[in-house]
Amino acid sequence: MSALTAPGFPERQIRARARRGTAEVFPAAGSYGAELFGPGAGDRADALDRARIAPPVFMPERLEKLIELAREPESGDVDLTTRTGGFGASLPLYLSAFGSTRAGSGDLAVHASRQAGRLGIPMVIGENMVPVHGYRRGGEATRSALLDRIDAYLEAAPEGVGGIVVQQSTEDADSEVWNLLYSDPATRPLLESGRLAFELKTGQGAKPGLGGMTVVAGAEAEQLAGRFTVTEVFGADDDRRLRCATPGTFTDEILRQQLRFMRNNFPKARTWVKFHPGRDIGDAARTAWAAGADAVTVDGAEGGTGWAPRVFLDQVGLPLAECLRRIGRPEGCLLASGGMWEGGRAVRALALGARAVGLGRAALVAVDEDPEHGLERLVESVALELRLLIGALGKYTVTALGPEDLWWPDSPDAGSSPLGSAQPAVGAAP
Amino acid sequence: MDHTPQPGPALPPPLGEHLRSPQLRAAMLVQQEALQAARDHLRREGFTELLPPLVGPVTDPGGRGAKALDVDYYGRPYKLMTSAILYKQASLHGFPKLFYIAPNVRVEPEETATTGRHLVEFHQIDVEMAGARREDVQEIAAGLLTHVAEHVWSAVPDILTGLGRLEADFADIRSGKYDVCTHQEAISRLLAIGHPQSPDSEIDWTGERLLSLESDRPFFVNDYPKGSRGFYDREDPERPGVLRNFDLIAPHGYGELVSGSERESDYATIVTRMRESGENPAKYAWYLKEAREGIPASAGFGMGLQRLVRFLTGLDSLWQVSAYPKLPGVVAP
Repeated sequence: MSALTAPGFPERQIRARARRGTAEVFPAAGSYGAELFGPGAGDRADALDRARIAPPVFMPERLEKLIELAREPESGDVDLTTRTGGFGASLPLYLSAFGSTRAGSGDLAVHASRQAGRLGIPMVIGENMVPVHGYRRGGEATRSALLDRIDAYLEAAPEGVGGIVVQQSTEDADSEVWNLLYSDPATRPLLESGRLAFELKTGQGAKPGLGGMTVVAGAEAEQLAGRFTVTEVFGADDDRRLRCATPGTFTDEILRQQLRFMRNNFPKARTWVKFHPGRDIGDAARTAWAAGADAVTVDGAEGGTGWAPRVFLDQVGLPLAECLRRIGRPEGCLLASGGMWEGGRAVRALALGARAVGLGRAALVAVDEDPEHGLERLVESVALELRLLIGALGKYTVTALGPEDLWWPDSPDAGSSPLGSAQPAVGAAP
Repeated sequence: MDHTPQPGPALPPPLGEHLRSPQLRAAMLVQQEALQAARDHLRREGFTELLPPLVGPVTDPGGRGAKALDVDYYGRPYKLMTSAILYKQASLHGFPKLFYIAPNVRVEPEETATTGRHLVEFHQIDVEMAGARREDVQEIAAGLLTHVAEHVWSAVPDILTGLGRLEADFADIRSGKYDVCTHQEAISRLLAIGHPQSPDSEIDWTGERLLSLESDRPFFVNDYPKGSRGFYDREDPERPGVLRNFDLIAPHGYGELVSGSERESDYATIVTRMRESGENPAKYAWYLKEAREGIPASAGFGMGLQRLVRFLTGLDSLWQVSAYPKLPGVVAP
């Protein structure tokens, strides 16, 4: 290293690139499987976090509740049950997809599934599970990570609430994941109780415009090379490879027709679609609802648990607040994910039109802390905050929240919501 | 007389007992006459019989939850044919009028086990004709059905009467009188009689049976919506969202016998339609290479052989006209 310095310039990162080339485009390969990625949420609040939750003085809806109860309402009177993408749910929360990364598809995911089942909240299982981990070959001895998660959820789930949502990406389509599940006797209880959904995934918050990425080594890389692009970004001498899936190509007509195909081919399953935080998210959401999607999930740029190039983690995709602003008043069930971990951020997303919010990284961290009850405790804490906050706003159901419940210090007149309407949002149709 | 197929035993007996039953023997004698008649008719019309492939890197992507079985082919994931449609199209280069008697394996969803009209293993009379339009192959399909019915009634009348069939049951088929309606009209009829049917989907099993019960003669249903059928069914250039395809429905509750269409032959449109049906074009590499080099425009159809024999014999379920029946969701030899 010379004596040359460049004050004010990201010298450390440039030098690292000069030494390690393409490997520096990504977080350290050694941290793969042990670290969850995504922009840090705690140390720099995004636009959604900057909005303040603003209770009014006059509360006609609290009066309605008082009349109904014949006593002063309390936070415990807030009803958090909701309809999420065609499922009954005990809370306006769901477990987000973890994908096929090592962190997201091992034992932690099974523990998370069991706890989500107990909590009665829907669970999304990520793409690429079958192409990477297989489904079932030669009987029960070789059950897949996918089926383990479904079993864990089903064993714990109470009757009548929750549901399982399975994604399928382009590479999953080669493995016919939805077909495998739909005709598998093991999923019959889900179909018969209306608790199976398929989610068409067009992208993810952490890397809009890219497909899933995992770090694989040696033999696994060779095995996957036939179905995925496997590259040597960490250097030819490094045994580890980057495995990339494709994001798939969509136009409005392709989206419309794919949703129709899902409804036509799997009439007993609910139809969900997940979007990355694209600039045309409003059009995309409206197209999906018009094509009959039971739920539209928007994953803000703060979302994602998976491996992504640093430039995407830091610089690509719309923040969740902006996605919700562009969608405006939802025409169907809207779900939101991206940096969710406590009640305040969840209430903001719900006030901006989401029916429920997804827990991704926070859920994995919670089960890592306590595999038996970590997620349940996290969710209980969020549920308590939700009750306190919604009650403080003088409201008693999740769908009663609206943009009038938020104040935006960044907006030009600092007096109106980013949705440009002082009118309360009307709850979306179930 | 009530022509409606009545619910029979839901499941076949053990295979040995099934193979010894006089009823199966009668059905197989009808089947061999039907096959003979179909081959004679199609050859007379100028079609060449090819034998279809059994496995390939890709097969018909299917619909309504039916899936293909995987086989390990020198370390590569191959599929058992659910339909050889893509090979039929490719074959047009050398055989502008061709047909197969094609075995197919479709792992249908379990809910189809009781329709009486689904088997995991079945055969279809698969016809394709270069340069043809929908109306041309509808004429071929109608002619084929008429000829087969005529031949079977003439060749083995005693077997048919032994199974309870009457000459009057075949009068409309033999006269060649077939009706035509559109998918939209079929949906309207179903909604009018209180059957909830999505207007932009395939007609569901119950709906199809209701339509079939309402009719005394076979009828074509044209113009299924895009999103309900495979990427190879051609979209009507004059009416976006409407396919130039058809089903031929048998009367008296027997339901669909034939599905067919004009085929999409434009390369860019095929790739786009694959995406619209959620398919990964990469897995269709060989087919897309043929399409890029130019697959002849065509139309064609598949007539379910067991469905045809069930209709001719008047039996209740497809398993009764299959020597080795495999019902959806039932593990059988």
